Amino acid sequence: MANKLQTRRLLLMALLLGVAFAGLGYRLVDLQVLRHDDLRTEARKNTERGYQIPARRGDILDAKGNLLATSVFVKTVCADPALIGNRQGEVAHALAGLLELKESDLAQRLLPHTRLNERHETVTNHYVVLKRKVSVDTWQKVTNAMAQLTFADVNEKELTSKSQKAFYHDLRAKSIYTDPVDDQLRNYPSHSLAAHVLGYTGVTERTNGGMRVLETIGVDGMERTLDDKLRGVPGWRQTEVDRQQRELVALREEDVDPRDGLNAVLTIDAFLQHALEMSLADAMQHESPISVSGIILRPRTGEILALAVLPTFDPNNPGANEDARRDRVIADVHEPGSTFKIIVVSGALNDGLVTLNDQFDCEHGHFSFGGHILHDHASYGVLSTEGIITKSSNIGAAKIGIRMGETRLYEHMRDFGIGLHTGIPLPGEVAGFLHPVKAWKKVSIAQIPMGQGVATTSLQMAMAMCAIANKGVLMRPMLVDRLQDQKGEVVARYSPQTVRRVISEEAARQMVEALKTVATSDGTAPKAALDHYTVAGKTGTAQKPPYTSNKFYASFIGFFPADNPEVCIYLSMDEPKGNLHQGGQICAPVFKSLAEQVAAYLNIKPDKGDTGFPEFPITTVDQAPKTAAVRAP
Amino acid sequence: MLTPFSTQRQSRIDTIQLAALLLLMVASVAFVYSATMSNESSVLLAWYRQVWFRQIVFFGLGLGAASVVCLIDYHAISRWAYVAYWGAILLLVAVLIPGIGSLRYGARRWIELGPFQFQPSEFAKLAFILAQAHFLSRPVDELRQVGIFWRSIGLMVLPFLLVMKEPDLGSALVLVPTGLGMLYAAGTPKRYLLQLGTVVGIFAGLFVADILFAPPKWQIKMESYQRKRLLVYFGRNYADFAQAGATVADRRSLQEEQFKDSYNVKQALIAVGSGGLLGKGWRKGQQNALGFLPQAGKHNDFIFSVIAEEKGFVGSVTVLTLYAVVLFSGIRIAGQARDRLGKLLAVGVVTLLFSHVFINIGMNIRIMPVTGVPLPLLSYGGSSVLVSLIAMGLLQNVYIYRKAY
Repeated sequence: MANKLQTRRLLLMALLLGVAFAGLGYRLVDLQVLRHDDLRTEARKNTERGYQIPARRGDILDAKGNLLATSVFVKTVCADPALIGNRQGEVAHALAGLLELKESDLAQRLLPHTRLNERHETVTNHYVVLKRKVSVDTWQKVTNAMAQLTFADVNEKELTSKSQKAFYHDLRAKSIYTDPVDDQLRNYPSHSLAAHVLGYTGVTERTNGGMRVLETIGVDGMERTLDDKLRGVPGWRQTEVDRQQRELVALREEDVDPRDGLNAVLTIDAFLQHALEMSLADAMQHESPISVSGIILRPRTGEILALAVLPTFDPNNPGANEDARRDRVIADVHEPGSTFKIIVVSGALNDGLVTLNDQFDCEHGHFSFGGHILHDHASYGVLSTEGIITKSSNIGAAKIGIRMGETRLYEHMRDFGIGLHTGIPLPGEVAGFLHPVKAWKKVSIAQIPMGQGVATTSLQMAMAMCAIANKGVLMRPMLVDRLQDQKGEVVARYSPQTVRRVISEEAARQMVEALKTVATSDGTAPKAALDHYTVAGKTGTAQKPPYTSNKFYASFIGFFPADNPEVCIYLSMDEPKGNLHQGGQICAPVFKSLAEQVAAYLNIKPDKGDTGFPEFPITTVDQAPKTAAVRAP
Repeated sequence: MLTPFSTQRQSRIDTIQLAALLLLMVASVAFVYSATMSNESSVLLAWYRQVWFRQIVFFGLGLGAASVVCLIDYHAISRWAYVAYWGAILLLVAVLIPGIGSLRYGARRWIELGPFQFQPSEFAKLAFILAQAHFLSRPVDELRQVGIFWRSIGLMVLPFLLVMKEPDLGSALVLVPTGLGMLYAAGTPKRYLLQLGTVVGIFAGLFVADILFAPPKWQIKMESYQRKRLLVYFGRNYADFAQAGATVADRRSLQEEQFKDSYNVKQALIAVGSGGLLGKGWRKGQQNALGFLPQAGKHNDFIFSVIAEEKGFVGSVTVLTLYAVVLFSGIRIAGQARDRLGKLLAVGVVTLLFSHVFINIGMNIRIMPVTGVPLPLLSYGGSSVLVSLIAMGLLQNVYIYRKAY
C-alpha cells in the first residue's frame, strides 16, 4: 500500500520533471527559432558600427590661385574626468578662456561621475565633450596650457611617490584629448571679400542608416551652385566593436576612403575684387547711398573679374541680416535710366534706321507725346544721333524709339537680354520686367528708350554694354574658370559661352564711336576720362518712382580701351545722399580711379597719350642679406 | 521504466547516466574554454593556470571522490549523515564570521584554506540530503506524526536561514524543493504537505508583494542588489521605489542603474536568441567573445548562454536532453532502490540537480530571476563540480546496491 503510494508519487515527480523540461524546451524554441531574427538583429546592433568618414569640402580659389574659401579640419576637445582628480579648478581656469567657456560650467563638466558596474565596482566616466569645432591653433594652445599647468599647493619636485608623479604626468598629457575623427569647418580667410560671389554654407543634420551625420552644405552663392562639386563623396567604414566600443580592426567589413571635393577656380581676381570693394567702400562713405554695386568684366569672354555689393557680410558668420546677404547685382531690379539708351541707339544703327550723323530736334527740353511731356535735363536744340548719346538726351532717344517702332524695339531689348536671365551661375538671379508690346501704353515707345517703364538688373545692363564692346555679341557671364582635384589636375574647364549676336559688327563699331564721346568734356561723364586709355561709356541717372521723389539711381558703365576693349566696369549707387546724384558726377570718378588700378594691374596696353605704359610702382626687392654664413663641415 | 528488469547481464553501474555525465563534462571544458579564452588576461596565463584546465582538475578530483563514494555502501555512508549535517552547519556558521569567511561582491560565501577556497553552502546541500534521507527513511507510520514532520522541516530550515544570511538566495532556495521533494517521495501524508504548501505559498506571495509594492519603510531587509534583480525580473521600474523626497536627478540615476542591471539579463537573452538553430560556432559567439555577456559570470552562471549562442538550438536542446537523461535515470534508480533510504537519497539528488538546472537555465532565458545558482557540471567552479559529482556518485551507489543485486 505504502509502496504503491510511493511509486505513484515517484511517477508524478517524473511527470513534473517532464513538464518542466518541456517548458524550458518551449522557451528555447520561442527564443532560438521563432524570435531568432529579432534577437540576431539585436546582437548585431551590439557590435556592428558604421562610420561615415567625411570628405573634405573643396576649396574655392581666385583666378590666381588665392584661397577664397577653404575647409579646415577642426578638433573636438574632450576630457577624461578620471584623470583630473580634484584639479577641476586649475584645469578649468587654464582652459576656460581658450575654449570660450564659462569657468564654473567647465569645472562642473570636469567632475567625474561614478556608477556601479556589473561587478558592483565603482567606475568613473572617461569621456566628456568640452567643445566642438576647435581650431588646430586653439588646440595647440590648449595642449600648451595643460603642459604648463602649475599647482600652488603642491611642490611636485619633492614628490616621491610613483603614483603621485604619474597622476600629474597623466593630468598634463592625457586628461584633455581630442576625438579621433576630425570635424571640419568652412573658413573664408579673407572674410567679406567676394562674399556675394562665394555665398556661405550651413550645416544640416541627416540620418544615414541610423547614424546622425552633420553635413556642410552650400546655402548661397558659389557654395550653393557648385555644392555637388565641392562636397565630395564621404567614405564609410563598416566594422565591429566590443563591449568597450573598441574597434576590432580584423572584423572591418568595408573600409572606403572618402573622395575629397573638387577645388573650384573662379574667374574672380582677388586683387581686383579687393580694389573694387575698396572703391565701393569709399563711395559708400562719400555718398551714403543705400547700396553700391560694382562689376568688373572682360567683354570678350563674359568673365567676371570682380563683383561686389555693399552692404556686405562675412561668410564666416553670415548673420541674420538678409539685406546684407542679398546679391543686389542680380537679385534687385531698377529702372536703369539713361544707360538703357545704348540699346535703342545701337538697335537703330543696326537696322539702318539712323546714322551717327542723323539730326534730331530735341525740342529744347519739352516734348509732348502720348499725353505726356518728356523732359531733358538741359535744353537741347538739334542733336545728331551721336550727340544724343553724348548729352544723354531723353527726347532724342524717344524720337529714335518712335522711329524704330514698338515691335522692333521690343525685339532689340529681348536680344540684349532684357527680361531674361543672364545665366550667371549664382542662385537668386531675377529676370527683371519687360512688358510685352500689347501691354504697352502709348507713351511707352517714348519712355522705354530712355530707361523708364522697364526694370533691369545691374548685371543685365553690364552684359548689354559688354555686347557692344564685344563687336555686337552677347556673352553669358562666367564665374567659374575650372575645377581641379586635390593634386591640381584640371578636371573640368569652363569656356566662354556666346548667347547670340545682338547687333552687327559695324553697328557696334559706330555705337562705340558714340560712346567714346561720353567721357569727354562735351559728354555727361568727363570725370570718367582716363589719361592713357580711350573710354567708351554711358551714364545713367534714373529718378526712382514715384518720379516726384528726389531719389535717384545713379550708374556708369564703361569699357576701355574703347576700340579693343579689355575691361568693362559697371558701377551704381542706389539713392546717393550727397549734393550730387548724377551718374556722371558720382559714379564716373569711381570708375576712373578703379580703371587706373585695373589697367595697371592687368598691364593693359594704352591707346592714347605719350608715355608708352601707365606708371605703376615697381618695387625692386634686394636680395635678403645673409645673416649667418654656413659653417663648413 | 520503474519495473526492475533482471537480465543476465546487468551492468553494475548505470552506464547511460555515466555517459551523459561525461558528455556534460566534455561540453563544460569546451565552453569554459570558449568563455574565458576571449579574455586577453586569461590567455596570457600559463596553460596549467587557465580556467579550463582547472575545471579538468576539478573534474578529476570530483570523479575520484565519486568513485570512493561508489565503493562504500550507502548504508554505511548514511550512518555519518548527522555528523556531516552538523559539520556543514558549523561551516555555514563559520563562514559568516569575518576573518574566516572572505567577503566577495558583498557576500560571505567562501572559506579560504591556503590557496584553496570553497563554498560551505555547496557541501551543505549534500549534507542536507544525507541527513534528510536518513531522517525520513524511518517506517512510513512514523511519518504521520506531526513532530516528525516538523523536525524534518526544521532540518531544512536551519541551513536555509544560514545560507540566506551569507547572503546567497539561490543556494538557499534550492534547498526548499529538495526538502519538499524528499518529504513527498517519502510518503508524508498529503494533508501535511498541503498545509505546508499553503503556508509556504502565502509567505512567498507576501515576500514578492512586499518587494514589488510595499513602501520603503515596510520592506524586508535584504541586499539591494537582490531586490533589484527581482525588480528586473518582474519588469518593475526602480524609480517607483525611490525614497520619499527623491530629486529628479536621483530618479534619473535610478533609471540608469536599472538599465545597467537589466543589461546582463537582456544580453543573455540576446545571446541565446541570436544563436538560432545551429549557432555561430564554437568560440565564434560575439556576445561571448566581445564581452556583452557578463564578464564575471559567463563561464559559470551564464555558461548556458554561451552554449546556446555558439551551438544554437541544437546545442541547447542537447544540453537539456543530457540533463533529462541524468534526471530520468535518477528517478529510475529511485524506483529500483533497495530500500527507502536509497530511494530518498536518489530523489534528493535528482530534485537538487533539477532545481539547479531549472533555476540556472531559467535565468539565462529570463523565466527565472537572476540568482547565483551554478549549472551543475557545466559551470566552472570547484565546490559545485565536486558536490555535483559526489551527488552523482551517491546516485550510482544507490544503483549499485539496488534490489536486483
